[in-house]
Amino acid sequence: MVGDDAPDTAVWAYNRTIPGPVLRLRQGMPLRAAVTNGLAESTTVHWHGIRLPNAMDGVPGLTQLPIPPGGRFDYAFTPPDAGTFWYHSHDDSLVQMGRGLAGALIVEEADPPQVDRDLLWTLQDWRLEADAQLAPGFFNRMEIAMDGRVGNTVTINGRLPETLHVRAGERIRLRLLNAAIARIMALRFEGHRPVIVALDGQPCAPHEPPDGRILLGPAMRADVMLDMQGEPGRRYRVVDDFYGRLSYTLVRIAYDPAPPLRAHPLDALLRLPANPLSRPDLASAVVHEVRLQGGMMGGMGGGGMGGMMGMASGAAWAINGMSMTGDGSAGMPPLFRVDRGRSCILDFRNETAWWHPMHLHGHSFSVLDRDGAAVPHDEWGDTVLVRPRERVRVAFVADNPGDWMLHCHVMEHQVGGLMTTIHVS
Amino acid sequence: MTRRKFVMLTTMAVPAGGLLTPRRGRAAEPIPVTLYKNPSCTCCEGYAQYLDQNGFKVDVRSTNDLAEVSRNAGIPEDLEGCHTSFIGGYVVDGHVPVETIRKLFDTKPAIVGITLPGMPAGSPGMFGEKTDKFTIFAISRDGTPPRVFDVV
Repeated sequence: MVGDDAPDTAVWAYNRTIPGPVLRLRQGMPLRAAVTNGLAESTTVHWHGIRLPNAMDGVPGLTQLPIPPGGRFDYAFTPPDAGTFWYHSHDDSLVQMGRGLAGALIVEEADPPQVDRDLLWTLQDWRLEADAQLAPGFFNRMEIAMDGRVGNTVTINGRLPETLHVRAGERIRLRLLNAAIARIMALRFEGHRPVIVALDGQPCAPHEPPDGRILLGPAMRADVMLDMQGEPGRRYRVVDDFYGRLSYTLVRIAYDPAPPLRAHPLDALLRLPANPLSRPDLASAVVHEVRLQGGMMGGMGGGGMGGMMGMASGAAWAINGMSMTGDGSAGMPPLFRVDRGRSCILDFRNETAWWHPMHLHGHSFSVLDRDGAAVPHDEWGDTVLVRPRERVRVAFVADNPGDWMLHCHVMEHQVGGLMTTIHVS
Repeated sequence: MTRRKFVMLTTMAVPAGGLLTPRRGRAAEPIPVTLYKNPSCTCCEGYAQYLDQNGFKVDVRSTNDLAEVSRNAGIPEDLEGCHTSFIGGYVVDGHVPVETIRKLFDTKPAIVGITLPGMPAGSPGMFGEKTDKFTIFAISRDGTPPRVFDVV
């Protein structure tokens, strides 16, 4: 993971690789995955962002029985949308994802955009000790109530990255997947102007991100088009500066000294073909407030330390005053029920001092506004990053029947109570 | 992240200023403190200011590895404060009031350090009213269970 001269890092893996194998299929084709569990504990696989039948969603106790050690579960579904999706464990997720159980699921457009290369960066974050082994201390009480188990080593496709070799003039479609359990990333491509063409697999109006910074919370994806307009022979840095003074160079881009591939950037269209999504009717939509509560400096319970000081359950977080902890339980009533086909607005109000990437299963939503300001570029997603004290509204058509998880994708926030379900009847 | 940085991040939990023996009343010489905190936690900054105003000079270092720093320093997880300071060869974890730190230096016990668990309201740097006494624990060097060091 951290180089050939370092010891191998012990991980948990799909098919013996981290991240798991890249699953690629054409839009409209069925996917079948036979999962056999070689772990010493139960597991499930969640197909993140895919609008699939509820029984295939991979949530233990809610949509299926957990797969016991030595057991097998066959997943079968046909992804309706093209785009960059992923799969990961949803059982003991903090530990299982934290030890590596995640991989990318790419659904190719029937008519893909013209690019020279289609690259995928599955970004994972590890907390390693000096011997390159994972540090102990999952479920640290303090971190649960802060920003989770952020690590010290970010890998691209399972390796500590060194250099991305490029040719001047080429156009790269770069699929970014933040598969970290807690680390938020803000990527800047020095000397380049990446154009975002899809978020969480769903096409948006092509646009450059504000300040050239691509902000990705855990579980979020961005497809960017990179026209390699740098100088032949030169090197450029890709920097992650989300944590301010803890900014670091993720990887370097090295240009081949050869002359540019073409004199001018490709003039092919950047916009991706639309996916078959229903647009919500805001006028008739039912509105549900989703208040995110707790955490350190949040004032829930006593002492500013979330609910940690007083709550017997150990929950540090809550949604509308309710804490569903661990892997969730089928016993807790859904946050709300909604009739199938109804448009629905989720009105997230982050009452905490921390960032929360909020993920809804089984649907993609349109991101409407942040603190009352309309979100431009027709942005859709399955995970929306809600800033501290921010109000964000998203809307979707509840067209997929079943019980669906709605939770924060910082794994320690999820297991610490920032989780609920909705029921579409 | 570079390999060098990785190594730095995993080895920084070494107590700073291990040979210093600060004494009460020598206000002319601020006592150096190295304070590790989560990059997003603001009350730790408040605590650093509090120390700065009370005869200390604080070097604040943000880290995503706070739990590792605290663990390597010997603080049991259930007694962790929200930041970890190294002062004069001792670990001082959490929002410990300066009078307790002075008591530590005056008595110079053979311990790893002291901790005020969690983030009690009204403690130095924290918001809110103090509603209860603070219990500060001493962490032993030999692994014997923590005992009460001070109640303020």
